[in-house]
Amino acid sequence: MLQRSSPSPGAQGKIGSALRRSHQIYINAFWTAACGLALGLAATWTALDAGYGLGPLIAGPWTAWPQTGGPEIDPYARAAFARRGEVPLARELGLAFIARTDSSGAPLSGHCDYIISSPAPPARFWTLSLLDLKGAPPTNDTQRSAYTSAEILRREGGGFEIEVARNARPGNWLSPGNARSFEIALHLYDISIDAAAKLDASAFPSIVRQACA
Amino acid sequence: MSLRDRILDLLPWSIAALFLAGVVHIVSILLMPYLAPRDAYHRLLEATKAQQPSSTGVVMLDATAPGDQLLPSEDPALAEGACVYDLSGGLLRLTATVDGENFLGISFHSAVGPVFHALTDRGADKNKIEIVLGQAPQIEDLEEADPEDGPPPSETRVTAPGPRGFVLIRALAKRASDVERARAAVNAVKCESFDVAD
Repeated sequence: MLQRSSPSPGAQGKIGSALRRSHQIYINAFWTAACGLALGLAATWTALDAGYGLGPLIAGPWTAWPQTGGPEIDPYARAAFARRGEVPLARELGLAFIARTDSSGAPLSGHCDYIISSPAPPARFWTLSLLDLKGAPPTNDTQRSAYTSAEILRREGGGFEIEVARNARPGNWLSPGNARSFEIALHLYDISIDAAAKLDASAFPSIVRQACA
Repeated sequence: MSLRDRILDLLPWSIAALFLAGVVHIVSILLMPYLAPRDAYHRLLEATKAQQPSSTGVVMLDATAPGDQLLPSEDPALAEGACVYDLSGGLLRLTATVDGENFLGISFHSAVGPVFHALTDRGADKNKIEIVLGQAPQIEDLEEADPEDGPPPSETRVTAPGPRGFVLIRALAKRASDVERARAAVNAVKCESFDVAD
């Protein structure tokens, strides 16, 4: 009669150790996959939140991404536009600059007042508008969220000032409404800015913070 | 197991995690334009189905209103309209008349976003803009159909990178009282589908 022989205590230890190793490999593989996925998606989220891809043109607080307006648009910019549902402004039409900070680098806040002062870069037309962080004009009682170069009230000599404040101001005034934060967009139409050249920040409007509530 | 052994044991897994993160990042960036359900093309397609385009084929995009904007981050000072096209049903002819004073911008976009052709009113010939859009074989057929000794075609012929996309028409309202004129300028642009045989 055959008898099943039970493994010796030494062999049992080896089998247990091999099982633990194999179990550990599965756990490590799971965590590797989970961390890789999370890190990769976090990097994508961060990159798309930062702007519209590579090669930004920066002038003080203003940033534009000129390569987004043509067929050579980079994959980061394509992904950013697709995720937000936005349409790039073609280079042949103009250039869109966005400011998310004032001229000192502090983020724009709906609780603070700002003065946006001339000059503006040469263009056939320009517009200056407020947008909330979702890209919509902020809700306010004035039904105005933009000024164009043709309608803005100018000082003698052609300079201008726009006050951004929740309460009414005389002259050129834009209200951010109750938005906690906002962006300022400067659209230049029919321009000849060289995308490869370094921009002179002094040719762009300054954004100076005034009182904060 | 010492700390050093433990670190050496986890090092290959950490490298693998970083490599995988790189792959996930690149793949997600490249796939985003094809998978994003609410990109500009799909928003405009939805709007075209929801509101019947005018007789000129242009869908007017409502003035950007708080919380209700169809395309985010558009300039509130512009009146805008769009023609969504599918070239598998024929070529697209876009015609516009400009006055030489007011800004009118027309940009052609593929369904996944990039601009492949654009011009402003300053690119008009005798205050007229006429553009024929088609895929490469359609444009070749059109050129073959041209009379050999005839005058050069009056329109600009543009080859589209793919069958589907949209044309965005933007007119600047210089001031609040100019909005209706700008909307009328956008609405006056014509987008028509036609075949080479027509």
